[in-house]
Amino acid sequence: MSSAPEPGREAAAENVDGEGKAAKKAAETGPVEPVGEAEHGESVEHVEEPAKKDGAEEPAAAPVKSDAKPELEPAAAPEPVVRLAKAVEPEPEAASGVESVVEPAAVQPPDADRNAGRRRLKAALWPPRLSRGQLVVALLLFSLGLALAIQVRSTNDHHSQLRGARQEDLVRILDELDSRQQRLQQEKAELEQSLAKLENSSNQAKEAQEQTRKKATELGVLAGTVKATGPGIVLTVDDPQGQVKADMLLDTLQELRAAGAEAIQINDVRVVVNTYFTDVSGGGVQIDGKKVSQPYRFTVVGNPQDLTPALNIPGGVVRTLESNQARATITQQQKVVVDALVDLKTPQYAKPASK
Amino acid sequence: MIAVLGLVIGVVVGLFVQPELPDAVVPYLPIAVVAALDAVFGGVRAMLDGIFNDKVFIVSFLSNVVVAALIVFLGDQLGVGSQLSTGVVVVLGIRIFSNAAAIRRHVFRA
Repeated sequence: MSSAPEPGREAAAENVDGEGKAAKKAAETGPVEPVGEAEHGESVEHVEEPAKKDGAEEPAAAPVKSDAKPELEPAAAPEPVVRLAKAVEPEPEAASGVESVVEPAAVQPPDADRNAGRRRLKAALWPPRLSRGQLVVALLLFSLGLALAIQVRSTNDHHSQLRGARQEDLVRILDELDSRQQRLQQEKAELEQSLAKLENSSNQAKEAQEQTRKKATELGVLAGTVKATGPGIVLTVDDPQGQVKADMLLDTLQELRAAGAEAIQINDVRVVVNTYFTDVSGGGVQIDGKKVSQPYRFTVVGNPQDLTPALNIPGGVVRTLESNQARATITQQQKVVVDALVDLKTPQYAKPASK
Repeated sequence: MIAVLGLVIGVVVGLFVQPELPDAVVPYLPIAVVAALDAVFGGVRAMLDGIFNDKVFIVSFLSNVVVAALIVFLGDQLGVGSQLSTGVVVVLGIRIFSNAAAIRRHVFRA
């Protein structure tokens, strides 16, 4: 953008000042004056007008530039003079101590002119020159860099971020924090509620499981699938004559059950609900199809104080056995162990009926 | 070159020394930085145009910073500080862009 008006301006400057110096020198010392300096009065429009236009229609600008250039070059003299008159207005007071310098590039062919900016940049960067102006500019840029670094630092630092905030911003931030806190509190309450609910239900589930397990164990004792222990008696029936038959054993068993026996084992056979007794033809007894040999040893879990009298009543089991030349001995124990188990068969026909 | 060195040294010192600023200055620092950046871009552009003058640069730099800070200060007093500082940043941003475009044309010729 600036390349179109610029050569003209430079050419005009040459007309006015009529001095040619090295590009290097030009960059160092202040040239014509603030024509292009963006901060300077009316020159702002002068410089920026094309810049804005250019930013808006970038692609369209390119051909215009290339077209305008050759035309402008010769025609530059009259037009920019007018412009210069306006732009150079402040020159007298500002430029008094400044050497006015003109680009030699301006009088060179356009191709060289296009490189002028680059050459000036190179010249300004190298070699470094020590002058008062450079030092002051360096000082200013130093303060800019310092402020930039401080600002970046403090913006990234969360704590001091609030330090520079305005009051209204602080109020807004506070409001936001308040509402956020409220939201979070609410969320927390909800989560706590659901946690309590879950804990409750898991406790209930645990409880139910525990009860079920207990129940299963109790039922297992009754069904004969679990070992049982507790106070009880051990009844030993010694029958040297072989007079004891299955029905006598069954009577004994019934008597024990009637007296409250909870788990019963005869020798190594667990007595359960479907236990049966059979006489074997050659003498002896089978229980649940297993041959049981003498002496018959009943291990019974139950209250010994109930069981013993029940067996000893006149005309009861012990008397009956004794009358058949068998000897029955009862020992009460604080702890007997019924450790024989039965294999549980799943009922084939019977199904649980709904309540 | 010395000026560029000054900028670099400033950034380095700012990053490593971490000086404490008075609280009164803190709200105006960002705006002042943007204004100074605008002045720097204008200066570079003027240099590329061959019309750079240290005096003008110094004056414009300082006045930019002061005016920007003043506008924000005034805005704070009037209760429109955040809006006004946004406006200042927008204006300065536009100027920085246009200057950057001019610089770009010089440096890349595009």
